[in-house]
Amino acid sequence: MYDAPILGDAVNQKTTKISARDVQVYYGDTHAIKDVNVDIDAKTVTAFIGPSGCGKSTFLRCINRMNDTIDVCRVVGDIKIDNEDIYDKRVDPVQLRAKVGMVFQKPNPFPKSIYDNIAYGPRIHGLANSKADLDVIVEKSLRRGAIWDEVKDRLDAPGTGLSGGQQQRLCIARAVATEPEVLLMDEPCSALDPIATAQVEELIDELRNQFSVVIVTHSMQQAARVSQKTAFFHLGNLVEYGDTSQIFTNPQDERTQNYITGRIG
Amino acid sequence: MPDQHIVSSFDRDLEGIQAHIMKMGGLVEAAIVDASQALRDQDEELSAEVIKRDQAIDALDSLINEECANLIALRAPAALDLRVVLSVMKISSNLERIGDYAKNLAKRNAVLVHMTPIEGARGALQRMAREVQLMLKDVLDAFIMRDMDKAQEVLERDRDVDQMYNALFREFITFMMEDPRHITPCMHLHFIAKNTERMGDHVTSVAEQVIYLVSGNMPDENRPKATRLEAE
Amino acid sequence: MTDVSPTSSLLTVDDRTRRRNAAEKRFRVYGVIAIVLAMLALAGLMTSILSNGLSAFKQTFVTLEIYLDPAKLDKDGSRDLDKIRKVSTFGYAPLIKNSLQTQMDSPGMAVEGLKAKDAAKMVSKEAAAEMRRFVLNNPDMIGETVSFKFLTSGRIDGYYKGRVTMESAERDSNISPEQLMFADKLKDAGLLKTSFNWGFLTRADASENRPEAAGLGVAILGSLYMMGVVLFLTLPIGVAASIYLEEFAPRNWFTDIVEVNISNLAAVPSIVFGILGLAIFINFAGLPQSAPIVGGLVLTLMTLPTIIISTRASLKAVPPSIRDAALGVGASKMQAVFHHVLPLAAPGILTGTIIGLAQALGETAPLLLIGMVAFVREFPGAPPEGLFDPAAALPVQVYNWTQRADPAFAERASGAIIVLLVFLLFMNAIAIILRRRFERRW
Repeated sequence: MYDAPILGDAVNQKTTKISARDVQVYYGDTHAIKDVNVDIDAKTVTAFIGPSGCGKSTFLRCINRMNDTIDVCRVVGDIKIDNEDIYDKRVDPVQLRAKVGMVFQKPNPFPKSIYDNIAYGPRIHGLANSKADLDVIVEKSLRRGAIWDEVKDRLDAPGTGLSGGQQQRLCIARAVATEPEVLLMDEPCSALDPIATAQVEELIDELRNQFSVVIVTHSMQQAARVSQKTAFFHLGNLVEYGDTSQIFTNPQDERTQNYITGRIG
Repeated sequence: MPDQHIVSSFDRDLEGIQAHIMKMGGLVEAAIVDASQALRDQDEELSAEVIKRDQAIDALDSLINEECANLIALRAPAALDLRVVLSVMKISSNLERIGDYAKNLAKRNAVLVHMTPIEGARGALQRMAREVQLMLKDVLDAFIMRDMDKAQEVLERDRDVDQMYNALFREFITFMMEDPRHITPCMHLHFIAKNTERMGDHVTSVAEQVIYLVSGNMPDENRPKATRLEAE
Repeated sequence: MTDVSPTSSLLTVDDRTRRRNAAEKRFRVYGVIAIVLAMLALAGLMTSILSNGLSAFKQTFVTLEIYLDPAKLDKDGSRDLDKIRKVSTFGYAPLIKNSLQTQMDSPGMAVEGLKAKDAAKMVSKEAAAEMRRFVLNNPDMIGETVSFKFLTSGRIDGYYKGRVTMESAERDSNISPEQLMFADKLKDAGLLKTSFNWGFLTRADASENRPEAAGLGVAILGSLYMMGVVLFLTLPIGVAASIYLEEFAPRNWFTDIVEVNISNLAAVPSIVFGILGLAIFINFAGLPQSAPIVGGLVLTLMTLPTIIISTRASLKAVPPSIRDAALGVGASKMQAVFHHVLPLAAPGILTGTIIGLAQALGETAPLLLIGMVAFVREFPGAPPEGLFDPAAALPVQVYNWTQRADPAFAERASGAIIVLLVFLLFMNAIAIILRRRFERRW
């Protein structure tokens, strides 16, 4: 196979953060995810693309077991984070979700103050011993969310009063406040205007230094812009997984080709 | 391309730039044929026409560049589509260069008409031009048919052109050593041969683009050109 | 090319459009008619109730100087409370008669053919009891002259409210035109006045013969006790049940049955709950009849489905994205519900609860069955023991009074309805305020 001479990527050897083997997901009788095998690198942005209903969001939600909240959903196969099976009986999903943060499609800040939005996670996980500790966490998270300068003077204002892009960055800040190792993003920019989208994309690129980011997106351009690795899902199958530059210039599978070039296929 | 884009105007745009390439290729082929014929027949009028027709080739090149820029900006092509646009842009500039060489040929014709003809050189030059023109025709066919094998074949035929050039090179040196009065026409003829050889190189470049377009990968670098270096 | 006929001009309205516009106009007219009818009905109801009932809040009082005669009240002068207590209300009646005699003897007050004995009937029978209470509380006042403000009898009161006239008095054994004339004289003398009747809100119910003394005190207190019981029971039970069903319960045939039955219960006629209450709380559990605790329990059963349904609706209205957000940062299901979902659903839950309470407040039928219709003169004690004392309830009191013969009770019933309506309006206002106050956009 042809290797695109991308500088940098070849230099640092990536370690595998999440590894999925023969993952099947069923919604009742529907077989939503079929035989997905994928190794997601640490400190890398991995994009999941594919047409609606292809299972990319479903697979994303398997990684922090958000699918547990759906009664009829059943997951078979192994998903390991740092070589620990997250579907092991001994794993408490609540603990897992502190380690695997999630950002949703629609910005969904709690209808509370900006401060409380960030402080909620650390509070319930007991990450802060004092108000001063909490203040530090809140500031650090808001800075990581690239929104500190915009809200530092109004931490008591309701989070719902921010603009859409600010709300989404607030949600990202909230997700990183619990010090997760993996950040899952389910179409984080689909409700945002292009400027806000660009700001969030810039933020995702920065987050790559500290977190393993997995992002589901409908925008192929977004996947191309923010990710280093891209996985293409089609009808519940993982069709192709590889370097983003390769997927977007020279995909190996015809279905991928048809999808990213906007062909009827 | 068996299947079509969901946005059909995207298809039309892509077909449009490729049609321009084919049209440009036709003009360039004609320029090569006419320029070599003018050389053989010492036809000043045809030479002038070849020079004049180069403007149309240049105009098509800038039109293709503009349309490709629009296509990239407006359609954000990816994968195969992206490769089509990229290869079209490169092929267009290759063709434009070939057109320039043909024009150069025609210009030298105008000078050569008034000089002592060199025995045999014209026939050889015309055969060489003919070979380049055939290569160009084949590579354009390969482009439009997405035929990688044919492009590979064209790539290999460049060696023949190089060998023809080397033969002519030695011949011209002999002529010049025989009689210093042959130096001026021989220099002109040598440049014509050199330009024709360069045309062949550009045709191989087009062939490489065809291979990239179809496979997504550039062909290996060790294409047959060693003989030329040895000659120089 | 289609031909451009003149009808395609935008300046002329075609038939279809005209018909559609006409249909819309007709629909609007129907709507306006319906609203006007409803408003008229409401206005009629309000006029009827207000015109009949507002007068219940006014009452005619007569102010009399009474000489508390020691010869009658404390024959041996020992001021011994036990002995004074032996003097019944009959012993006090002559004091009123004497006082009125004094009035009639003063110049210009005499009415021909009116004896002091008859004049004393103009004062409510409640007056003697009132005096006795005063004397028992202040035994040292015996021998003094004290000014009392007594209720007049229902007929005298009716005379000033237009219910009784000279003509009707001729035919009425309970009142005579002379008495009315004397009343007018007292009024001129400034002794007889019509003023606001706090007693209507504070007094207990009174017997058939003294409508002027009847009040809503026990009924209001009984209703409040019942509302307390209902609130105390339905809110936690209803909210807990709703949260479980909405957030935690698995979706299977069992929960489906529970859900269907809750909806069915909300539609069960209230009297069925009365029968249930009678069977379970009184006959089986042995709780006392007429007690607010039983009324409250029955109304709780009746209100629970309503509250569960409205609570579930407001829990459902909380966007799932909030739940996702909470779960996404690692909150447990319980934390997600109690930290985020419940506060957002709170205004809806409170409004539903208050509306359920208001519905319970106006409920009559089940209370009749558990004996809340009994005639209760004694105020129930302070809760929690007071919950087991007999009490009345507002809607039952209305029902009760409308059954009585004396037209003065009809006025009181309307007055009680006004009180009930004020309560309901007040509760709805609280519901609206809570909604406005806590409602947030998300």
